[in-house]
Parts: sequence; structure tokens; C-alpha cells
Amino acid sequence: MWLVRRVAASVAIVFLVVTLTFILMDLAPGKPLLGPPEVVNDPVRDSVLTEQFGLNGPLHIRYFRYLGQLSRGNLGESFGLRRPVADALAEAIPNTLLLAGAALLIDFLMGLGLGVYQAWRVHRLPDVVLSNVTLFLYSVPTFWLGLILLLLFGEWLGWFPIAGMSDPILCPSVSSFYCVMDRLWHLALPAATLGFVGAAGTARFQRAAMLEVSAQDYIRTARAKGASERRVVLRHQLRNALLSFITLFGLAFPFLLTGSVLIETTFAWPGMGRLATDAILRRDFPVVNAAVLLASTLVVTGSLLADVLLAAVDPRLRVRGTA
Amino acid sequence: MLSARRLVLVLAAIGLSACQPSGGCTGAYCGTLVLAAVGEPDILLPPSTQQVASRDIEEQLFLKLADIGLSTNTVGDEDFQPLLAERWEWDGPLTLVFHIDPRARWQDGQPVTASDVAFTFDAYTDSAVASPFRANLRRIASVKARDPQTAVFRFRERYPEMFYDAVYHMRILPAHLLRGVPRDSWKTAPFGRQPVGSGPYRFVAWKAGQTIELVADSTFFLGRPGIRRVIWRFTPDLQVATTQIVADQADGREALYSPENIARVRAAPQVTLYPYRGNAYGYLGFNLAANGDTTQPHPIFGERDVRRALTMAIDRARLVKSVFGDFAKVPPGPMSQLWWIWDPEARQIPYDTVLAKRLLSARGWRDSDGDGIRDRAGQPLAFHILVPSTSQTRKQYAQLLQEQFRAVGAQVEIDEVQAGVQSERAAAGRFDAILQAWNNDPSPGSGVAQVWTRAGFGGSNFLRYDNPAFDALVDRAGTAATPKQARPLWRAALETINADAPAIFLFAPDNVAVFHSRIGDVKIRPDSWAALLRTWRIPSDRLIDRDRVER
Repeated sequence: MWLVRRVAASVAIVFLVVTLTFILMDLAPGKPLLGPPEVVNDPVRDSVLTEQFGLNGPLHIRYFRYLGQLSRGNLGESFGLRRPVADALAEAIPNTLLLAGAALLIDFLMGLGLGVYQAWRVHRLPDVVLSNVTLFLYSVPTFWLGLILLLLFGEWLGWFPIAGMSDPILCPSVSSFYCVMDRLWHLALPAATLGFVGAAGTARFQRAAMLEVSAQDYIRTARAKGASERRVVLRHQLRNALLSFITLFGLAFPFLLTGSVLIETTFAWPGMGRLATDAILRRDFPVVNAAVLLASTLVVTGSLLADVLLAAVDPRLRVRGTA
Repeated sequence: MLSARRLVLVLAAIGLSACQPSGGCTGAYCGTLVLAAVGEPDILLPPSTQQVASRDIEEQLFLKLADIGLSTNTVGDEDFQPLLAERWEWDGPLTLVFHIDPRARWQDGQPVTASDVAFTFDAYTDSAVASPFRANLRRIASVKARDPQTAVFRFRERYPEMFYDAVYHMRILPAHLLRGVPRDSWKTAPFGRQPVGSGPYRFVAWKAGQTIELVADSTFFLGRPGIRRVIWRFTPDLQVATTQIVADQADGREALYSPENIARVRAAPQVTLYPYRGNAYGYLGFNLAANGDTTQPHPIFGERDVRRALTMAIDRARLVKSVFGDFAKVPPGPMSQLWWIWDPEARQIPYDTVLAKRLLSARGWRDSDGDGIRDRAGQPLAFHILVPSTSQTRKQYAQLLQEQFRAVGAQVEIDEVQAGVQSERAAAGRFDAILQAWNNDPSPGSGVAQVWTRAGFGGSNFLRYDNPAFDALVDRAGTAATPKQARPLWRAALETINADAPAIFLFAPDNVAVFHSRIGDVKIRPDSWAALLRTWRIPSDRLIDRDRVER
């Protein structure tokens, strides 16, 4: 019953977000850019295209038309990309999944590892050094770090490609092991940028969670029973500190598909973030609406997933949920 | 777990392994050109788009009947080069007959015929297609196929740019592939993402947000293209594109836009710069109607003398130097360097701050309260400049203008807005002054008329500049039989608009292209840099790894 209520609330939230976005995009200043702004425009042509793309008419008519389309699984046509929105998303989503997935992997593996290590060595030199390093990285704007890495490893040292997700000459598609390596090579800088900044935050979060747990009676008991320090940390301390980590994972989940706008732009990575930003600047409503629909669905799904996982690993929550 | 240092080393090792080249094309027709492009096309169906990025690629895929020469002279037909039409002749004053080259083929093997030409005209002029070029074809009454090799154009009237209108705006389309596509679906037609043309290059692949790849058609009837493969590599940012060129991960691009970018690529030893005439100009336009109410004159800019005074307050030469360095000129009127009517001798309002102050005082604008800002009847001499946030150049100009206006007692606020907001506010007349730039095609006639005459009301003349004498001069200049007859008329028109000062004409940039030095025979036509790409070559002794790659 709890799950049904949560799912129903999630659907309502998505609907509300999509509706609000539709209205706000309409109210926002600026009109859809049907042609380049620096080329003399023909008002007659603009009015024909406005009608053909369904951008005319009162807001409520367009809204219900949009809902009708949506109910048939049709996300509409983008006037900026001149193609069905679903096709554009289908191309962008795997790219974002790849980048965000790699970044999250770096983020969680490195962040979790560093957090545990720092808690284990708390207040000693490695912890102090790592605390400062993670604080620095956490404070750095992601795009700035991206530009620095690009400048250093791309332009000056030439170790990594400047932009894009593959070598357009040798590997237009991933058709060989060589091209898998090429894809990883292109992935390295953007994923590292996102991953390092994320890992810094995760490490600090995890360190705090570990230290909070370390004061608990069961940790003292484990030590009193003669358990090794390794066993205390990994078996008792980490396991209980992972509860907050699951919440963090749930919140990070939407990022898998919505991507990072600035990093995708800096590294010319053709993902969802870039698609959505371009669409907002062009007032390409169908793409913006689809991106918001996707993002909001993922946020509520991520949150739902985190709740379910927490309930699965922490019986106290299940008891409270059914009460 | 890997330490950060080890991770970097592993990734670098992966990178090095990924650098291994392969393949071995040798000879005259190898070569891969990787272009660092900032804009991505929306669609590759010529009548449906006016994006420059689309045009550059369409140049390689779809031919015109004939094309303008390097002189970009639009009058008469002497300077035009045959393409799909092997020859043409005039059959009376209003009839133009094209003979299609019998060797011309669509890339699916079908011959190009006069029916394709008639079909193309029909599509471009069909309102359902909503072609941006439809208005340019309004003086052509009909296009018919006399026989499979002969297309006949009939004009409604006689004028100097008849030939230009007949050939410049239309790229001939394959009727057999597009006839079945409903015209109101052309805006998103799948053909536009997998085009089949008759040009020197064939379409290979379009990876959204990444690349478009073309490969040379070795059987092209006008001669095999010199470079085997051309790849447009898209980045959303000019700086990133420039960095790709500097780092030798791309071969070039058509324009660098800022002195900083030019300086960066100049330092790269492997590239050569190619300056050429730009097709854009920019200005600070004064809204002659009240902000948001086109029925009333603007309280400041409604007065000609005030506009003239504000124009005198601006040192345009210094601004050009500050923003563009040596790569732009002050335009002698509303024009880019591309137009043959460019006339530095045309009379302009001089930079003279003393005269500007005197003129403002004479019109009643005085600093009555000593705050440094002039005022009249309680109204300060203050206005807002609308600037698109995407244009670094114009944002820079806005700040410099603000300073120079302050020196004569005018207060300026800068409104940085997104391009969509700028377009909306311009169309609705909701602005005081606007920093605008236009890209032009080679014909001055339509460009001036659409932006600066009454014909542009409701369209691109959002300043609502209206001077019947100027309109008449533009009309006469556009219909003069020869450039010699047209030139004095254009000068008179320019001097009229300069004297009225509806805008301060600020910059007409040069374009500076950059390409890898191994590329030879680089010829750039100013109106469309990629128009002659098929004649570029990479000599066999200059091939590098990426040129030799076979797939």
C-alpha cells in the first residue's frame, strides 16, 4: 500500500512539473527562433512554420494538444532540429548515459573509498591532506576544472582529445576493440572532471557518515569483542554508514540521463544536457518539454528507488511505513 | 582501488594506444579535411533552411544551374560559372533558357533533367514548403521543361539581377525522390537527414551533435574532387573549435571572429590564415517609434538632430580597432564588405564630440541639475541598448558605446537578453536602441530594401526608418541596367540614410579563415567559403596520417 501511494504521488508530481514547465515556457519572454537571428526574416514564412509546428493558438489548446500527443507516446517535432523529438532523445540519451555512468562510477567508487579511508585514518596526516584536497575539489566549479584539464591534458600535453566522443576518421562507430579504447580515451577528461568533483563531495559525506556511526554502541561492542579494526570498519561501520549513501545514490540517479550541461558543452559531448540547453535558448518547446518530462520522471524514480532500497536494508523504516 | 595518479597514467596509456594510425591511401586524391564547426545544420534540404551550416554542406551535395564568380558581381550573367547547366541563352528580354549538362547525374544514378529544375522552382515557391528563398524568386513567373535537357525561365519584369535570381537561390532537387513527400512535411523530411544530390560529394553519415561526413564522388561530371573525405566536426563553442585547430585535431574553419582567436591560431605552426571579405555588418539602431508603441515617435530618437548628435559622439574607427583589431572596417552605410556598392567616399557623419554637444544643447538637451546627464523638460537623455547575450562582439561594443555616450551626457543601460528575446522585442518594437548584425547574400538590392525601407515594416525594418526619398533611390538603384548607372544612385541612397542617422553603422568584419598548411589550392569565395571546396587539394607529398586512413 505504501508503495502504491508513493507511485501515485510520483506520477502526480511528474504531471505537475510537466504542466508547470509548459505554462512557464509559454510565459517566459522570447519567441521560438525559426531561423538564424542574423538573417533577414520573412514574416510570412514565420507564420507558416508557426502553424506547421503547432506553435500558434491559445495556451490551453496547445496544452491539451500536447497531452493528447503525449498519451499516444508522441513527443512532438523539434523545429530547431527539424526532426521528431523522440529521435533526438534516442541519440542523446546513450551518450549521456555513457558519460554520466562513467562519472558516477568514478564518483562513488573513489568517493566511497576515500571517505572510508579518511574515517579509518581520522585526524591523521592522510585524512587532513585528503580533507583539504576534497574541500578544494568540491569548491571548484565543474566547468573550470574541465577547462583546466582540457588546457593541460588536451592542448598543452596533447594526451587527450580536445572534444567530441570519438575519432571521426578512424572510429565513426564502435566497431572494434581499438574503437572501444578510442571511446574511453575521449571519455576520460569529461568523466574525470565530473567524477572528481562528485567524488570529493561523496568522500566528505561518507567520512561524516562513518564518523557518526563510529560513536555508536555496537561499534564499541564489536571492538570490545575483539573484532579486528578492518572488520569493525568494513563490516559494522561501513555497512551502517551506507544508509545515507543510498539516499545520495537515489539523488544522483537522474543525472544519469539529464547529464551535465556545462561539461557536455565544454567537451562537445552530444548528450541530453547540451540538447536541453540549446532547446531552451531557441525556445524549442517540444524538446524542452520532453527533457523536463524525462528529468522529472527520473528524479521521482530515483527518490522512489532510494526509499525502496532504504526500506529493504533498514527494517525500522518498513515498520514506520506500515504503521 | 586506483590512485588518481595511476588512473591518469592508465588513461594516458589508453590514449596513446588509441593514437595508432592505420591505413595507407597514397596519391593525388587522398586527403581528409576535418572542419571544426560551431553550428550544426538543422536539415540538409536546401529550400527548407537558411542556416549557414546547412548551406556549407549543401554546397557539396546539391548543385545550382550556375553560380556566382569570385567577383560576387550579381549584375548580368558574365561573371557566373556553369554548373548543372552547361550553357544558357536569352530568348527575348524576359526568357532565359538553360541547357542541362547531359553528363549530370543524381548520386543514385538517375540523370538530372529539366523536369528536376521545374520541380525545384515549384517547391521553392510553394508556400507550404515555407522556403526562406521564396521572396527572392517572386519576379520569376514560371519555370518549365521544354525537353529533358532544356529548362525555360520566364520573368515578370526586366531587371539587372535576373540571372542572379534565377540561379543563386535554388539548388536543384531530385524530383524522383521528393515528389512523393507532402510539401508541408518538407520542414522535417527524412530526406533532409540522408540527402541524395548531384554535387561533388556524397552524403555518408550524420551523427547528431558530433559529425557529418561526406565522401568525394569520384565520377563527378565536372571533375573528381581533390580531397577524398570531408568531415564537419561540431562543437558548441568557438573557443573549443579553435583549440581543436591549434592542437592539430582539426584542419580548420571558415572564420575565427576575434583578434584573440586569430592570435592563438597564428602561433600554431601547421596552419595558414586566409582573410577574405566578410558578409556581415553591425550597427546600433535607434527605434524611431516609442518603445512599445509604434504609433508614436520615440521621445529621444524621434528627432533627427538628436540621432545625428549621438552618431557624432561615437568614434567608430576606434571602436573597430578595439574590438576587431585590423580585421574589420567602419562601413560607409548599411552594408557588408561583400557588396559591390561598398563606397568609402559616401558622405558620413563625422566623429565630433564638440559638435555633438552643441547640437544636443541646441535641441534643448542640457545638464540642468549638474549630474552629468543631459535632460529636457524633466526627462533625462537616457536609453537602453538591447544586446544578444550570445554575441561577445556586440556585448563588448555595448560597453564601449556606453562610455562614449556618457562623455556627451547621455546615460545608457545595457539589456543583455537571449536571441529569442531580442527577436521578440525587436519585432514588437519594445526597445530604445538595439545592437543588431545582419548576414547578407551578395545582392545589395534586397538586403537594403528589407531592412531599411518601408517594405521591411512588419519584418526586419523594426527601427521603422521611413524616408520615401531613400526608398525611391534604392528602388532606382536596384533596377538600374548596369553597375555604372547604379553606383551614383547607391551613393545618393547611402548619403541620404547616413544623414538621417537611423543607426550608427559600426562594423563590417573581414572574415579570417584558417586551414592546415598541407591543403593546397585553397580558394574562398566571400559569399560562401565552401563553394569551391571541390577544387582544393592535398598534394601527395604533404599527406599526413589522417589523410591516408582507409576504412
